[in-house]
Amino acid sequence: MPPLDIDIGVLFSTTGSYGTVAQSMLNGARLAVEEVNRSELGLRITPSIHNPGGDLANYAVHAEALLRDGIRHVVGCYTSSARKEVIPLFEKHDGLLWYPSHYEGFESSNNVIYTGAAPNQHMLPLVEYLLQHHGRRAFCVGSNYIWAWENNRILRESVSSRGGAVLAERYFAVGETDFSQVVEAIIAARPSFVFLTLIGTSAYAFFRAFRAACRAAGIDQAREMPVASCSLSEPELEAIGGDAVDGHLSSSVYFTSIDSVENARFLRAYGIAFPEGPTASADAEASYNAVWLLARSIAAAGSDDPRMVKGRLVEQHCHAPQGDVWIDSETFHAFLTPRIGRSNHEARFDLVGEARAPVRPDPYLINNSGRFEAAPFPVLRLVS
Amino acid sequence: MIEPRLLQNFNGNRALVVTDRASAMDTLVTALERLGVAVAAGNIVGSVGDIDLTTLSAERDVIFIDGDMGDGAALPLTPVGQLPPAPVIGVIGVTAPSRLKALMRAGATSFLRKPIHASAVYPALFVGVNEYRRHRHLEALLEDQERRRRGRRDVVKAIIRVMAVHGLDDDGAYDLLRRRCMAARQTMEEYCSALVREQDLVAEDTCSGPDVARQEGRAK
Repeated sequence: MPPLDIDIGVLFSTTGSYGTVAQSMLNGARLAVEEVNRSELGLRITPSIHNPGGDLANYAVHAEALLRDGIRHVVGCYTSSARKEVIPLFEKHDGLLWYPSHYEGFESSNNVIYTGAAPNQHMLPLVEYLLQHHGRRAFCVGSNYIWAWENNRILRESVSSRGGAVLAERYFAVGETDFSQVVEAIIAARPSFVFLTLIGTSAYAFFRAFRAACRAAGIDQAREMPVASCSLSEPELEAIGGDAVDGHLSSSVYFTSIDSVENARFLRAYGIAFPEGPTASADAEASYNAVWLLARSIAAAGSDDPRMVKGRLVEQHCHAPQGDVWIDSETFHAFLTPRIGRSNHEARFDLVGEARAPVRPDPYLINNSGRFEAAPFPVLRLVS
Repeated sequence: MIEPRLLQNFNGNRALVVTDRASAMDTLVTALERLGVAVAAGNIVGSVGDIDLTTLSAERDVIFIDGDMGDGAALPLTPVGQLPPAPVIGVIGVTAPSRLKALMRAGATSFLRKPIHASAVYPALFVGVNEYRRHRHLEALLEDQERRRRGRRDVVKAIIRVMAVHGLDDDGAYDLLRRRCMAARQTMEEYCSALVREQDLVAEDTCSGPDVARQEGRAK
């Protein structure tokens, strides 16, 4: 029987401020496509690769072009802003966006499959770890968009409910690289930890500036004021470079240091396919998993019809580099295994915490948060 | 009166859907279940009149009303704030003023547009429920202010009587009453009303003057 020919779209900004991570995501997707085409699934996938260049307005243009060409499945997007930009198009054309990045949750579109971590799989484990091991005084620095706003809200509520405090929340435009003022403010405030939601080049510049300023002030930054993030990955550690690379905490469902047969095989194949890099990352693994889940579902359905594919998707189990991964039939988010890593001098992560088994996704935190927002400051009224 | 905190997790809530086309609500039901909001088959009804008001809870229930229905029945509304017994979210198909007005009159505090998109359900729930809670809080505040306004007449009477009995000026009399109502853990209006009522009774019984000390002892 001849293989079933399937065209898919791949939409990553491999240039622009977060191009490093997006390139590793593209690599993960391309590696999976090559493996699927060599496998006995009976599929021949042809990827149509588009690069919006980190410009939000370009995402809709590229997504529309792919969907108008008759493509029904697109693996892509890194930022939530980009995802939200294209979702209406997928709903209009009844296509499926396979979104392979960790994100802040509170979304569940019928036209999106979420293979990256939901907030209960990265944010909550990190908050728990920080409060247990580093203290209750947080200083938040982030890129000015939904990823930072929502993660800071979750952090603020968790810290407040434990009697801690968020000393400050500072936001910067995506791509900003001058952090001298906020670094001074952090050193003056002496928080227990810095919660970082800057992305891309902004994050790299912050890590370097903060480490340098702390060193000049005689502060052991990694020990006294560690920086914690839900998006820091190995390619980014390499981009930070120099002597600012170690001692940072990251919450993720995948690190290259995971000791498993599947991960060793994945890293070997990735290294051979992309010797020029960047290194594999959690988002590269999520992209790799997304393509494999998509391929298996198409093979099971015998068609790329989105409804049929979704119907068969929930039957698929993937022995992924991070461990077993499968899709929750209610939310179409993935069961994933949360982990905490601390970066070392080799720009890799040493595992310092790990869930015992894959955790059910809870994008709306219905099983992992209080019914009410954290208590606001009391509003006093005039009584006489 | 404490301002209500925002409700953001609806796990454990119950939804009642009023529609004459249950099939058009499939997306709504699926999206609600993802949010932990239960929609039992028996809770999808064809008319507002089919809702069992005795089991409705403002804390637990949310009512979705299809605005395209020509439903003759209506939910009872509170006299002051015109609030239904539980939050109402209007489901809009036809956008003519008459339909929108009907949903507003039913007390809807947020809306969903047909065809329903799953991603629109959480925001509608969030706004609808929290706006209802805010309205209910404002209604309670209004009722409280109204009650206190009515009680101001007794405050004035009490001040005048204390001035007469203790030979104080109006500020002194007010301060005395203020200290005593705080000690009694009552509002000024409640304390003064009780004082005036009691002294009126005493006056009726004995034709004697007001007795602040006796009221103070009773309140403690």
